[in-house]
Amino acid sequence: MIGRLLSTGTATVAAEHIGAFSRALGDLNPRYLDPREAGGSGPCGGIVAPPTYPIAFMTQAMAGGMDTFLELGLNFMTLVHGEQEFEYLRPVRAGETLALTGRVADIYEKSGSSGTLDFVVLETEARDTEGELVFFSRNTLISRRT
Amino acid sequence: MTALDARTVTIGTELLPLVKGPITREDLKRYAAASGDPNPMHTDEEFARNAGYPGVFAHGMLSMGYLGEFLVQAGGVGSIRRFRARFAKLTWPGDVVTCRGRVTAVRDEGAARLVDCDIWTENQEGERKLVGAALLALTRPEA
Repeated sequence: MIGRLLSTGTATVAAEHIGAFSRALGDLNPRYLDPREAGGSGPCGGIVAPPTYPIAFMTQAMAGGMDTFLELGLNFMTLVHGEQEFEYLRPVRAGETLALTGRVADIYEKSGSSGTLDFVVLETEARDTEGELVFFSRNTLISRRT
Repeated sequence: MTALDARTVTIGTELLPLVKGPITREDLKRYAAASGDPNPMHTDEEFARNAGYPGVFAHGMLSMGYLGEFLVQAGGVGSIRRFRARFAKLTWPGDVVTCRGRVTAVRDEGAARLVDCDIWTENQEGERKLVGAALLALTRPEA
Protein backbone atom coordinates (compact mmCIF):
# COMPACT_ATOMS: atom_id res chain seq x y z
CA MET A 1 0.00 0.00 0.00
CA ILE A 2 2.87 2.37 0.81
CA GLY A 3 4.17 3.78 -2.45
CA ARG A 4 0.89 3.16 -4.22
CA LEU A 5 0.08 5.64 -6.96
CA LEU A 6 -3.24 7.28 -6.10
CA SER A 7 -3.87 9.58 -8.98
CA THR A 8 -2.37 11.33 -11.92
CA GLY A 9 -3.99 14.17 -13.78
CA THR A 10 -3.63 17.71 -14.91
CA ALA A 11 -5.06 20.95 -13.57
CA THR A 12 -5.26 24.21 -15.45
CA VAL A 13 -5.03 27.21 -13.15
CA ALA A 14 -7.67 29.89 -13.83
CA ALA A 15 -7.06 33.47 -12.71
CA GLU A 16 -10.72 33.64 -11.64
CA HIS A 17 -10.24 30.66 -9.33
CA ILE A 18 -7.10 32.18 -7.79
CA GLY A 19 -9.16 35.33 -7.24
CA ALA A 20 -12.02 33.45 -5.55
CA PHE A 21 -9.58 31.52 -3.35
CA SER A 22 -7.70 34.67 -2.31
CA ARG A 23 -10.93 36.52 -1.51
CA ALA A 24 -12.10 33.53 0.57
CA LEU A 25 -8.93 34.01 2.66
CA GLY A 26 -9.59 37.76 2.85
CA ASP A 27 -6.18 38.19 1.17
CA LEU A 28 -6.49 41.02 -1.34
CA ASN A 29 -2.83 41.08 -2.46
CA PRO A 30 -2.98 42.65 -5.96
CA ARG A 31 -0.45 40.05 -7.18
CA TYR A 32 -3.25 37.47 -6.87
CA LEU A 33 -6.02 39.64 -8.26
CA ASP A 34 -4.99 42.38 -10.64
CA PRO A 35 -3.11 41.72 -13.91
CA ARG A 36 -2.01 45.37 -14.05
CA GLU A 37 -0.27 45.03 -10.67
CA ALA A 38 1.07 41.59 -11.38
CA GLY A 39 4.53 42.35 -12.73
CA GLY A 40 5.97 41.11 -16.02
CA SER A 41 7.89 38.00 -16.93
CA GLY A 42 10.17 35.93 -14.68
CA PRO A 43 9.33 33.15 -12.24
CA CYS A 44 7.03 35.35 -10.20
CA GLY A 45 5.55 37.37 -13.10
CA GLY A 46 1.86 37.61 -13.99
CA ILE A 47 -0.96 36.71 -11.63
CA VAL A 48 0.28 34.14 -9.13
CA ALA A 49 -1.52 32.04 -6.54
CA PRO A 50 -1.25 32.36 -2.74
CA PRO A 51 0.89 29.71 -1.01
CA THR A 52 -1.92 27.37 0.10
CA TYR A 53 -3.77 27.49 -3.23
CA PRO A 54 -2.50 24.03 -4.30
CA ILE A 55 -4.91 22.48 -1.78
CA ALA A 56 -7.77 23.63 -4.02
CA PHE A 57 -6.80 21.28 -6.82
CA MET A 58 -5.62 18.37 -4.74
CA THR A 59 -9.16 17.12 -4.02
CA GLN A 60 -8.44 14.23 -6.39
CA ALA A 61 -5.37 13.10 -4.48
CA MET A 62 -7.21 13.52 -1.18
CA ALA A 63 -10.15 11.48 -2.49
CA GLY A 64 -7.68 8.71 -3.34
CA GLY A 65 -6.51 8.95 0.26
CA MET A 66 -10.07 8.45 1.52
CA ASP A 67 -10.33 5.27 -0.58
CA THR A 68 -7.08 4.08 1.00
CA PHE A 69 -8.61 4.72 4.43
CA LEU A 70 -11.66 2.64 3.60
CA GLU A 71 -9.58 -0.14 2.10
CA LEU A 72 -7.37 -0.34 5.19
CA GLY A 73 -10.51 -0.53 7.31
CA LEU A 74 -9.58 2.68 9.15
CA ASN A 75 -12.17 4.82 10.86
CA PHE A 76 -13.47 7.27 8.28
CA MET A 77 -15.83 9.04 10.72
CA THR A 78 -13.02 10.42 12.87
CA LEU A 79 -10.79 11.36 9.91
CA VAL A 80 -9.09 14.74 10.22
CA HIS A 81 -6.39 16.60 8.31
CA GLY A 82 -3.61 16.52 10.88
CA GLU A 83 -0.66 18.16 9.17
CA GLN A 84 0.16 19.87 5.91
CA GLU A 85 3.53 20.61 4.39
CA PHE A 86 4.51 22.35 1.15
CA GLU A 87 7.79 22.79 -0.64
CA TYR A 88 7.85 25.40 -3.40
CA LEU A 89 10.18 25.90 -6.31
CA ARG A 90 8.19 28.93 -7.47
CA PRO A 91 4.63 30.29 -7.16
CA VAL A 92 1.81 28.71 -9.20
CA ARG A 93 0.90 30.99 -12.11
CA ALA A 94 -2.51 31.75 -13.62
CA GLY A 95 -3.02 30.12 -17.00
CA GLU A 96 -0.55 27.29 -16.58
CA THR A 97 -1.33 23.59 -16.65
CA LEU A 98 0.23 21.39 -13.98
CA ALA A 99 0.67 17.63 -14.02
CA LEU A 100 -0.16 16.19 -10.60
CA THR A 101 0.93 12.86 -9.19
CA GLY A 102 -0.36 11.61 -5.82
CA ARG A 103 1.11 8.73 -3.79
CA VAL A 104 0.64 7.03 -0.44
CA ALA A 105 3.92 7.90 1.26
CA ASP A 106 3.45 6.30 4.65
CA ILE A 107 0.98 4.48 6.88
CA TYR A 108 1.56 4.10 10.61
CA GLU A 109 -0.16 4.06 13.98
CA LYS A 110 0.52 5.65 17.34
CA SER A 111 -0.96 4.87 20.72
CA GLY A 112 -1.75 7.65 23.16
CA SER A 113 -4.02 8.65 26.00
CA SER A 114 -7.03 8.89 23.66
CA GLY A 115 -6.46 5.45 22.15
CA THR A 116 -4.87 4.36 18.91
CA LEU A 117 -4.45 6.83 16.05
CA ASP A 118 -3.94 5.77 12.44
CA PHE A 119 -1.88 8.01 10.16
CA VAL A 120 -1.86 8.04 6.35
CA VAL A 121 0.60 10.34 4.61
CA LEU A 122 -0.16 11.39 1.04
CA GLU A 123 2.36 13.10 -1.20
CA THR A 124 1.51 15.10 -4.30
CA GLU A 125 3.94 16.65 -6.72
CA ALA A 126 3.12 19.18 -9.43
CA ARG A 127 5.19 19.68 -12.57
CA ASP A 128 4.80 22.28 -15.28
CA THR A 129 4.65 21.58 -19.04
CA GLU A 130 8.47 21.71 -19.13
CA GLY A 131 8.55 18.88 -16.59
CA GLU A 132 9.97 21.17 -13.88
CA LEU A 133 8.81 20.63 -10.30
CA VAL A 134 6.62 23.54 -9.13
CA PHE A 135 5.56 22.36 -5.69
CA PHE A 136 5.47 19.31 -3.50
CA SER A 137 2.78 18.67 -0.90
CA ARG A 138 2.54 16.26 2.01
CA ASN A 139 -0.85 15.73 3.70
CA THR A 140 -1.09 13.78 6.93
CA LEU A 141 -4.55 12.35 7.57
CA ILE A 142 -5.34 11.01 11.04
CA SER A 143 -8.20 8.94 12.40
CA ARG A 144 -8.93 7.68 15.87
CA ARG A 145 -10.00 4.08 16.41
CA THR A 146 -13.35 3.87 18.18
CA MET B 1 8.17 45.97 0.13
CA THR B 2 8.51 43.23 2.71
CA ALA B 3 8.27 43.34 6.46
CA LEU B 4 11.38 41.29 7.17
CA ASP B 5 14.62 43.18 6.52
CA ALA B 6 17.35 40.88 5.12
CA ARG B 7 20.06 43.20 6.50
CA THR B 8 18.96 43.06 10.13
CA VAL B 9 17.16 39.71 10.46
CA THR B 10 18.66 37.52 13.16
CA ILE B 11 17.76 34.64 15.47
CA GLY B 12 14.91 35.77 17.69
CA THR B 13 13.54 38.41 15.30
CA GLU B 14 9.74 38.45 15.52
CA LEU B 15 7.73 38.56 12.32
CA LEU B 16 5.12 41.30 12.04
CA PRO B 17 1.87 39.71 13.34
CA LEU B 18 -1.20 39.43 11.10
CA VAL B 19 -4.67 39.54 12.67
CA LYS B 20 -7.59 37.89 10.84
CA GLY B 21 -11.24 37.41 11.72
CA PRO B 22 -13.28 37.05 13.85
CA ILE B 23 -14.14 34.02 11.73
CA THR B 24 -17.79 33.80 10.65
CA ARG B 25 -19.83 30.84 9.39
CA GLU B 26 -20.06 32.76 6.12
CA ASP B 27 -16.24 32.71 5.89
CA LEU B 28 -16.33 28.91 6.24
CA LYS B 29 -18.92 28.55 3.46
CA ARG B 30 -16.91 30.81 1.17
CA TYR B 31 -13.68 28.92 1.87
CA ALA B 32 -15.40 25.53 1.38
CA ALA B 33 -16.64 26.65 -2.06
CA ALA B 34 -13.38 28.24 -3.20
CA SER B 35 -11.16 25.39 -2.01
CA GLY B 36 -13.45 22.57 -3.20
CA ASP B 37 -13.56 21.01 0.28
CA PRO B 38 -16.85 19.09 0.47
CA ASN B 39 -16.62 18.15 4.18
CA PRO B 40 -19.93 19.25 5.81
CA MET B 41 -18.15 19.38 9.19
CA HIS B 42 -17.31 23.02 8.42
CA THR B 43 -20.66 24.17 7.02
CA ASP B 44 -23.48 22.02 8.45
CA GLU B 45 -24.25 22.59 12.17
CA GLU B 46 -26.37 19.46 12.50
CA PHE B 47 -23.73 17.27 10.85
CA ALA B 48 -21.02 18.64 13.15
CA ARG B 49 -23.17 18.09 16.27
CA ASN B 50 -24.02 14.54 15.19
CA ALA B 51 -20.28 13.90 14.89
CA GLY B 52 -19.87 14.94 18.53
CA TYR B 53 -18.65 18.51 18.14
CA PRO B 54 -20.40 21.56 19.65
CA GLY B 55 -20.84 22.92 16.11
CA VAL B 56 -19.00 23.66 12.89
CA PHE B 57 -15.31 24.54 13.08
CA ALA B 58 -12.89 26.16 10.68
CA HIS B 59 -10.93 24.28 8.02
CA GLY B 60 -7.33 23.85 9.15
CA MET B 61 -6.36 25.03 5.69
CA LEU B 62 -8.24 28.32 6.20
CA SER B 63 -5.93 29.19 9.10
CA MET B 64 -2.95 27.88 7.12
CA GLY B 65 -4.05 30.26 4.35
CA TYR B 66 -3.84 33.10 6.89
CA LEU B 67 -0.31 31.93 7.76
CA GLY B 68 0.49 32.02 4.04
CA GLU B 69 -0.59 35.67 3.85
CA PHE B 70 1.49 36.36 6.96
CA LEU B 71 4.61 34.76 5.39
CA VAL B 72 4.18 36.67 2.13
CA GLN B 73 3.82 39.84 4.20
CA ALA B 74 7.15 38.97 5.81
CA GLY B 75 9.16 37.83 2.79
CA GLY B 76 7.26 38.77 -0.36
CA VAL B 77 5.65 36.74 -3.16
CA GLY B 78 7.89 33.82 -4.16
CA SER B 79 10.01 33.93 -0.98
CA ILE B 80 8.56 30.80 0.66
CA ARG B 81 10.55 27.60 0.09
CA ARG B 82 9.03 25.37 2.78
CA PHE B 83 5.89 25.80 4.81
CA ARG B 84 4.34 23.31 7.21
CA ALA B 85 1.69 23.34 9.90
CA ARG B 86 0.23 20.88 12.36
CA PHE B 87 -3.44 21.38 13.13
CA ALA B 88 -3.03 21.06 16.89
CA LYS B 89 -6.35 22.52 18.07
CA LEU B 90 -9.62 23.48 16.42
CA THR B 91 -10.46 27.05 15.43
CA TRP B 92 -14.10 28.07 15.98
CA PRO B 93 -16.48 30.67 14.53
CA GLY B 94 -15.95 33.88 16.53
CA ASP B 95 -12.22 33.24 16.99
CA VAL B 96 -9.84 36.07 16.15
CA VAL B 97 -6.79 34.47 14.54
CA THR B 98 -3.40 36.11 15.10
CA CYS B 99 -0.50 34.78 13.02
CA ARG B 100 2.88 35.02 14.71
CA GLY B 101 6.41 33.85 14.06
CA ARG B 102 9.98 34.00 15.28
CA VAL B 103 13.26 33.49 13.42
CA THR B 104 15.19 30.38 14.50
CA ALA B 105 18.12 30.37 12.03
CA VAL B 106 19.70 32.57 9.33
CA ARG B 107 22.24 31.49 6.70
CA ASP B 108 23.34 32.56 3.24
CA GLU B 109 23.12 30.46 0.08
CA GLY B 110 24.20 32.10 -3.17
CA ALA B 111 22.19 35.30 -3.65
CA ALA B 112 19.68 34.31 -0.99
CA ARG B 113 19.54 34.89 2.75
CA LEU B 114 17.66 31.88 4.10
CA VAL B 115 15.53 32.44 7.16
CA ASP B 116 13.98 29.62 9.22
CA CYS B 117 11.00 30.57 11.34
CA ASP B 118 8.72 28.93 13.87
CA ILE B 119 5.19 30.04 13.06
CA TRP B 120 1.82 29.63 14.73
CA THR B 121 -1.71 30.96 14.99
CA GLU B 122 -3.32 31.83 18.29
CA ASN B 123 -6.83 32.90 19.24
CA GLN B 124 -7.96 35.81 21.42
CA GLU B 125 -7.09 33.79 24.55
CA GLY B 126 -3.54 33.18 23.33
CA GLU B 127 -4.28 29.50 22.70
CA ARG B 128 -2.09 28.09 19.92
CA LYS B 129 -4.09 26.39 17.17
CA LEU B 130 -1.74 25.79 14.24
CA VAL B 131 1.92 25.20 14.97
CA GLY B 132 4.52 24.95 12.24
CA ALA B 133 7.63 26.23 10.55
CA ALA B 134 8.70 27.95 7.36
CA LEU B 135 11.83 28.61 5.34
CA LEU B 136 11.94 31.99 3.58
CA ALA B 137 14.50 33.01 0.97
CA LEU B 138 15.14 36.77 1.11
CA THR B 139 17.31 38.65 -1.36
CA ARG B 140 20.76 38.85 0.20
CA PRO B 141 21.80 42.45 0.83
CA GLU B 142 24.83 43.84 -1.04
CA ALA B 143 28.02 43.25 0.93
